[in-house]
Amino acid sequence: MKSFNYVITDEVGIHARPAGQLVQAVKALTSKVTIEANGKSAEATKLMMVMALGAKKGTEVTVKVEGADEDADVVKVEEFFKANF
Amino acid sequence: MDYRKSAEEVLKYIGGSSNIVSAAHCATRLRLVIADNAKCSKENLEQVDGVKGVFEAAGQLQIIFGTGIVNKVFEEFISLAGITGGSKEDVKQAAAAKQPLPKRMIKTLGDIFVPIIPAIVASGLLMGLLEGLSNAIPGLSDSAAYTIFHLFSNAAFVFLPILIAISAAKTFGGNMFLGAVVGMIMIHPDLMNAWSVAGAESVPTAPVWFGLYDINLVGYQGHVIPVVIAVWFMSFIEKKLHKIVPEIIDLFVTPLVSVAVTGYLTLTIIGPVFSTLENWVLSGAKALIAVPLGIGGMLIGAVYAPTVVAGVHHMYNALEAGLLSESGVNTWMPIATAANVAQGAACLAVAFKTKNKKTKSVSLPAALSAYLGITEPAIFGVNVRYGRPFIAGCIGGAAGGLVAGLFQIGASAYGITGLFGFLITTDFAIQYALVMITATVVAFAITMAIFKDPEAVAVKSDVPDTSEKNEATESASASEMIITSPLNGTAIPLTEVPDETFAGEILGKGIAIEPSEGTVYAPCDADVTTLFPTNHAIGLTTEDGVELLIHIGIDTVQLDGKGYKAFVAEGEHVSKGQRLIDFDTRVIEEAGYKTVTPIIVTNTDDYADIEALASGDTGALDNILRVIR
Repeated sequence: MKSFNYVITDEVGIHARPAGQLVQAVKALTSKVTIEANGKSAEATKLMMVMALGAKKGTEVTVKVEGADEDADVVKVEEFFKANF
Repeated sequence: MDYRKSAEEVLKYIGGSSNIVSAAHCATRLRLVIADNAKCSKENLEQVDGVKGVFEAAGQLQIIFGTGIVNKVFEEFISLAGITGGSKEDVKQAAAAKQPLPKRMIKTLGDIFVPIIPAIVASGLLMGLLEGLSNAIPGLSDSAAYTIFHLFSNAAFVFLPILIAISAAKTFGGNMFLGAVVGMIMIHPDLMNAWSVAGAESVPTAPVWFGLYDINLVGYQGHVIPVVIAVWFMSFIEKKLHKIVPEIIDLFVTPLVSVAVTGYLTLTIIGPVFSTLENWVLSGAKALIAVPLGIGGMLIGAVYAPTVVAGVHHMYNALEAGLLSESGVNTWMPIATAANVAQGAACLAVAFKTKNKKTKSVSLPAALSAYLGITEPAIFGVNVRYGRPFIAGCIGGAAGGLVAGLFQIGASAYGITGLFGFLITTDFAIQYALVMITATVVAFAITMAIFKDPEAVAVKSDVPDTSEKNEATESASASEMIITSPLNGTAIPLTEVPDETFAGEILGKGIAIEPSEGTVYAPCDADVTTLFPTNHAIGLTTEDGVELLIHIGIDTVQLDGKGYKAFVAEGEHVSKGQRLIDFDTRVIEEAGYKTVTPIIVTNTDDYADIEALASGDTGALDNILRVIR
């Protein structure tokens, strides 16, 4: 399993549009991606759960990536967070 | 079930009581004539509790409830709508008045020929049995019993014009007994029997219309259409005379004049003209059936079911009656059987292939009834709805028609198709069986090959997942879920929402409501999965596992909660209709945001399809989405 921490810098946080894009991006990967924030945990393919995290600007999230291609996938997910959140 | 609730919903989805022209019910269906069909929502009607099917036919909106239920729903329906129920006949007439003339004429033929089917069946079945028995028992045809029963078996055909005349008089509103007299005139023994003309040395003639021309004094045995026209004319002048003749002499003047005028016109003009026309139509049909190599039968077999859908099949009884009385064999019926049985087989294939329990429970009995000659449930209830089974059925009908055409199978009656058809095709039992087998095998095989069950697709796309939620969805038996509106307002397609994330269905499929007031209600019993800290969006998970996102306004996350007030908390269980969030449309609009509210199924990928059910004016808890597994 690979993981990284990230502090949200985007004004609205992990909300509708970027959250939807995140789910789409994660679904394209083979790894299982889990996001933890505010003491809650969400599977990144479940849009409702991701949004329910309530990750706003300044929230620190922990992203876990697990699977056969986790080395490559964790890089992709981290790049996505930096670009969008 | 709650009859009143079903009646209320039906009334709502047909556009209210002001949209009803008339209402009636038969043994299984609510039969409504609707002023403006555009105000009806068939999709919503089909979802009403107890409704087994909805279709439009013969100018009526027919809603199938089933025996024992329809009458109770009907009682509630008319009391709710504030109307008085019409008889089935009233509805038929109101429906007929709405139809174009050719359709009305075809329907009239059906009204005339369907009621006399018992007489045709009695004679035809006897004839079939006699033929079959005399083939099996040598010498039977010389026996006294045969002579007596043979007399019964052709009575209805020998005097067919009288039966037709009575039925026609009833249909056209004339006096049935005067109608019978017109029929009797046309086959009077003093006229030369039409069957004897071919062998006669000379045909008696008589000058008519003061010597203008001569007519042949020959009866109209074996004719159908001239009888119908003659009786129509008689009914027409009879009704006119009733109006203008003083009541005191009406009793003897009207019948006298009606019969005298009609009789003379019939023998001199109507009979000669229309029997010629009829001969052309019959020879046309016979020529078509007789096209070599079964091609004619194949063509008829292919288009037969579409003509049932169009409602013009009622005229076939007239055609069959004509074939029977002219040549003694009905070569049309085996082809009709091919078409009907093929639709039944296609429907049977649907029953085999579908995983949807409701579809299965509808299609199995519908298929059986098609084999017994009643095809409407299979055609309207199943095959046309899915499209491909109907086409497969037409191909099967063509294949069966080809066989029927090749063998030139003839039946001894009309009004019976399918399995019971054996009784009137005793000379052709093996060939007739071949017709049904061919039609069945072809239609069944093609349907199995080309019919895609919406269910099966859903199962494929349903990636194996061990999460609890997925287990819950699989254990639920319903194949589809209906989502109601959380708001009062106007429904628009999701693709018209002015935001590309929603319009592009990136978050999932759904629908949007332009709210007319600022309250969000729970659209169903559900858990509040997500309540955004800003209260501008709420996520619900229904008991069936559908995840719904209700996002009030576009980009309204920027308002940071201003103008929003939530009445529930995350994790809470809410009941259908419960108030969830209030929002101030004025505050939102003044801040420069739109209040249009997308309602999204965020786990769209778990389902085969999501269909929007509403457009335009929509009240809270009206059906807006269908989620199909």
